Amino acid sequence: MSDDEPTEEERRTVDDPNYDGAFDAIVVGAGLAGSAAALTMAREGLDVVMIERGSYPGAKNVFGGVLYTPRLRELVDLDEAPLERYVAEKRFSVLTEDDEVAVSIRPDAWNDPPHNDSYTVLRGEFDRWLAEQAVAAGATLVTETTVTGLVREGDRIVGVETDRPDGTLRAPYVVLAEGGNSLVSERAGLKSSESRENVAVAVKEVLEFPENDDAIQDRFRAVDDAGAAYHYFGDGAVGDSFGGGFVYTNEDTVSIGVAYRISDAVTGQPKPERTLNEFKDHPAVAPLVRDARTVEYTAKTIPEGGIGSVPELVHDGAVLVGDAAGLVLNSGIHLEGTNMAVESGYHAGETIAHAAEKRATSAAALRAYSEALADSYVVKNLRRYDWLTRTVEEDRDLVFERLPRALVDAGEDYFAVDNEPKESHAQRAKRRLLSAVGGWTGAAKLAFRYRKTIT
Amino acid sequence: MSVQPSVPTVENDSLEDRLYTVKYDDPGDSHLDVKVPNICEEKCTTDDCIQVCPANVWREGEDGVPSIAYENCLECGSCRWACPYDNVSWEYPTRGAGVTYKHG
Ligand SMILES: Cc1cc2nc3c(=O)[nH]c(=O)nc-3n(C[C@H](O)[C@H](O)[C@H](O)COP(=O)(O)OP(=O)(O)OC[C@H]3O[C@@H](n4cnc5c(N)ncnc54)[C@H](O)[C@@H]3O)c2cc1C
Ligand code: SF4
Ligand code: SF4
Repeated sequence: MSDDEPTEEERRTVDDPNYDGAFDAIVVGAGLAGSAAALTMAREGLDVVMIERGSYPGAKNVFGGVLYTPRLRELVDLDEAPLERYVAEKRFSVLTEDDEVAVSIRPDAWNDPPHNDSYTVLRGEFDRWLAEQAVAAGATLVTETTVTGLVREGDRIVGVETDRPDGTLRAPYVVLAEGGNSLVSERAGLKSSESRENVAVAVKEVLEFPENDDAIQDRFRAVDDAGAAYHYFGDGAVGDSFGGGFVYTNEDTVSIGVAYRISDAVTGQPKPERTLNEFKDHPAVAPLVRDARTVEYTAKTIPEGGIGSVPELVHDGAVLVGDAAGLVLNSGIHLEGTNMAVESGYHAGETIAHAAEKRATSAAALRAYSEALADSYVVKNLRRYDWLTRTVEEDRDLVFERLPRALVDAGEDYFAVDNEPKESHAQRAKRRLLSAVGGWTGAAKLAFRYRKTIT
Repeated sequence: MSVQPSVPTVENDSLEDRLYTVKYDDPGDSHLDVKVPNICEEKCTTDDCIQVCPANVWREGEDGVPSIAYENCLECGSCRWACPYDNVSWEYPTRGAGVTYKHG
């Protein structure tokens, strides 16, 4: 190298960027999936750049939020992470317009580390921290920069276009971790746009209690770092739409929101903002958030198409991870995307690191990524619950309306205190439930139809 | 006994008043460029884009063509999926020249 030729460090100055060819891999989006991929590759010695359009990672990320951490715990030291509370209680409620029937689970084992790998977090803080871990491992982070397209040579993806002047950046591998609004992948033909039946609109608020420091401890029975995850279904949550509501406890705030299909949001169900307000006003929910003040209002879409919507994950020079790859499990009972994002980012990173040793960029060389994912819980869970969503869709009237109503009425009957003997209360309660499901035959059919949820 | 929540509701408080912090309003964030072509006027018999928007930023214009107030758009993308005619072009805008890289 001659004396006046710039050093590698100088080439990467802020004023005159010339990153072209300087990196082994480009990661589009510094969400959970992107940072997990970048971290994994950087640790394997690759030169990685993450491009994030927000002013910092997490600035634009929205989720409910429970972060599930089985793989993350192996990748980073979670003791250092900005976690809010661990989930000590899960509660599932069905709501009619004014009533609630709930089931709660609170195993003592969840009070011990690793707390069933379930922690509430605020993404603005957590995503920034996780991206910092990737940077500490050697990755470069570029913020306030939007990837606008992919660069191809023949069929091979060889880089990205950004919204910066002279913003083309070339590298042998591109990881598409842009989340559910995956405009870059769609425009490049790596996936097709979802239909509105497969996408949910979600609105969420973060609430604080300016005049009550003990609100969370008192209302959610939350001692120390323990917290709660409450899920709500039925009429009182999101009307007759396909979806539900949620309340999660953070350290000093509460996250509350609703999510339901866009196809329902445009036919009948009031606007999302109004739906959330009605949910907050429900007699079962209002006492939890009484005297709260909204400090943040956000919205996002959730890709809910399941395994049938997962596109081809591997291309010449590029892979898709996280929500961009449709890796979200929403079975009603389980809403998991954070763990799938990290798991897919990790496997993609490992695969690229191995392929880079051989300087191989073809789809065939990257196939190990989709194979690892197929072998993991990610694809297995998506497959397992695929039928459930479709079946519930067929039974939606029963699941979201008739059954909640019957449960409430049966409960009222069963526990009624009056001059009648308990036996007649129990009989009446049983009749209510049976008539909702179509008698013994209906109950048997239903049990058969949903047997896979517990077997 | 009826429960009287003191959290703001649509009836007593508009969304704008409740927006203490909209994440996407960070200075320097690139805002979404939502374009609605004239085809709305010719074809559309729904107002699905307006109905689904959680930020209430869509407005029906006098000519029947909706438009949005970008500054309060949450960039959720819902309008893009809601439009039955694939009419919302949901693009990230291109930044002007003269902006320098920032990394850290
Ligand atoms: C309301 C709601 C509730 C949820 N609740 C839960 C829950 O409780 N638990 C759970 O596990 N999962 C939950 N999920 C799902 C979970 O949030 C996602 O699965 C997860 O965030 C996916 O991570 P990701 O990294 O793939 O995408 P994202 O977190 O969406 O990250 C994508 C990143 O890419 C950036 N980006 C996008 N396009 C570009 C571009 N062109 N150029 C540069 N940067 C770009 C974005 O700014 C963003 O930082 C929920 C989702 C929603 C919407
Ligand atoms: S954007 Fe779509 S839904 Fe909205 S008015 Fe135009 S055609 Fe109709
Ligand atoms: S992206 Fe979301 S917030 Fe913005 S206009 Fe569309 S629906 Fe409204």
